[in-house]
Amino acid sequence: MVESEIYEDGAAAALPRPSPSLMLVFWLLGSLLLALVLLPLISLIATPSLADLIKAARDSEVRNALWLSLAGAMLTALVAGIVGVPLAYLLSRSRFPGRGIVAAIVDIPMSVPHTVAGIALLMVFGRRGIIGAPAEALFGLRFWATLAGIVVAMLFVSAPYTVNAARLGFEAIDPRLEKVARTLGMGPWQVFLRITLPLAWRGVATGLTLTFARAISEFTAVAILVYYPMTAPVQIYELFLRFGLDTAAAVAVLLLVLALALFIVFRQVAYGRTAPLGPGR
Amino acid sequence: MNALALEVAGLSLRLGACCLRDVDLAAAGGEILVLLGPNGAGKSVFLETIAGFYRPDAGRIAIGGRDVTELPPEERRVGFLVQNFGLFPHRTVAQNVALGARSRQDESQVAALLRRFDIAHLAERRPLLLSPGEKQRAALARALASRPDLFLFDEPFAALDAQTHEALRDELALFLRQSGIPAVFVTHDHGDALALGDRLAVMAAGTIVQRGAAGEVFARPASRSVAHFLGVENILDGRIVANGGDGLLRVEVGSSVLSCRSPAPAQNGKVALAIRAGDVRLNGAAAPKANGADNVLAGRITALRTIGPLCKLTIDCGFPLTAYLLAREAQGLAPEARLDAAIAVEAVHVLPGGES
Repeated sequence: MVESEIYEDGAAAALPRPSPSLMLVFWLLGSLLLALVLLPLISLIATPSLADLIKAARDSEVRNALWLSLAGAMLTALVAGIVGVPLAYLLSRSRFPGRGIVAAIVDIPMSVPHTVAGIALLMVFGRRGIIGAPAEALFGLRFWATLAGIVVAMLFVSAPYTVNAARLGFEAIDPRLEKVARTLGMGPWQVFLRITLPLAWRGVATGLTLTFARAISEFTAVAILVYYPMTAPVQIYELFLRFGLDTAAAVAVLLLVLALALFIVFRQVAYGRTAPLGPGR
Repeated sequence: MNALALEVAGLSLRLGACCLRDVDLAAAGGEILVLLGPNGAGKSVFLETIAGFYRPDAGRIAIGGRDVTELPPEERRVGFLVQNFGLFPHRTVAQNVALGARSRQDESQVAALLRRFDIAHLAERRPLLLSPGEKQRAALARALASRPDLFLFDEPFAALDAQTHEALRDELALFLRQSGIPAVFVTHDHGDALALGDRLAVMAAGTIVQRGAAGEVFARPASRSVAHFLGVENILDGRIVANGGDGLLRVEVGSSVLSCRSPAPAQNGKVALAIRAGDVRLNGAAAPKANGADNVLAGRITALRTIGPLCKLTIDCGFPLTAYLLAREAQGLAPEARLDAAIAVEAVHVLPGGES
């Protein structure tokens, strides 16, 4: 932690040089995984003609679905930041009883099948759910057939990424920096906003990017809680069932391009910042 | 103003495995107080309690005559310097210093502070790649911008190589003497204690076990464990055999008898003696002149090891005694060689309590 400033420059030189045969075998094995990811996506992109794509892009239902997916994922990332970053800070900085349990709860959505998640969410946020019913009665807020419901479903499956990445970001900060800031006259809120959060920025931004990506690609939980109005993944499924592969492929390509483009932009924002992380990291 | 720079009274704190027990400590204005102790003694927790990060279970803390026991860190007006100096890596040097300013008026001083610490040319640089010296100056400038009543140092040099350590320590000592701002400096390094400390407090297991002028503490450790921690090379078990009328105490150690100028401990019998290796004079061929004020012991070298310019010798003179020679003076010496050791009676320090 202390001496790592020295390693920062020498890190490349310190990498061990693996043997050629080991490199060859590892590259062969790794390529299988790369191919598994890239081949389906490339063949998908190659399937619809440009005319199909333009036609799909002009369809107002398709545009609405894409917009709904985009808006839902953006809102989800925003909400995840507002409720997830504080939890990440608590997990990294304070030692409270049950901290391990809280950390485990955060991870639960990643191991719950998304059909199960959707049904469970429906029970709570549905028409007769313990939150769904009073929310409608008191505030007129419905979680079925609304953007709010889409965000709830997306948030359930994608929030862990924000909490975990932000937590790593906070843990990389030397707590003494925060202490020094206090002695310089900053109150705890100022220290968090001016020192801690900027230093954890890369972790937080990475988390929000992953949350956005996970949210825009979620199908199951969203479809169970909110089938209509349709997000893009739900619409692709519907088109696939009703009209077959070719019709679904055009919308699929549009969603893929949109999601990837935004993912790349957000990643750039997260990693492009030149501010180094905590001391010597 | 006659108020003490720092006054800690009856401070107790339990914090996980660490605890502070009834600590009293005071520092006068313009004084550098070094708090010395082994790792895990509670020094850092004590310092951070002064800074306001832990609420003591009992006791009070006053800085410059102002009771700060209930105040949060941001209102205590302390300049806190930590290992690696704690500059904010996402801000430039100038921004770091400006963050120390508590008011608009203070902010106008930033440029002057950068010039004063000779870091104006680094104003727009980020701290990560500054040299340790530049970091120390930037951190001092930033702390000074907050106009502290007291500096707190938590082992700022712990991660530095020996040469840099010494250079930065000299620079810091000069700055503190010139600024006149009192400081508490926590370290486990004897060199820091001797170079910086006007006064010294030794902490062990959450309590202050000895305090006094720096030279005095090193010359007269209060207990066997303090002597050990302060690096006294010879700590010898002995038995008082005579309490001479000449003000000299005679103590049997191994098969020899040493005289020491020391008041007799309350109970006669077993004592421990502390003798710094640097106080042992050796003379190979010719015996040192026995002028009455020296213990002169005939000995035989059992081991010797050259460490840089010094040679460390272990000599059997009725008991094992560690001493130093300059390496070039030790040339030609070998184990089994005979020589005489002379120790002034004033250099033999009787540790109270003997066994403890």
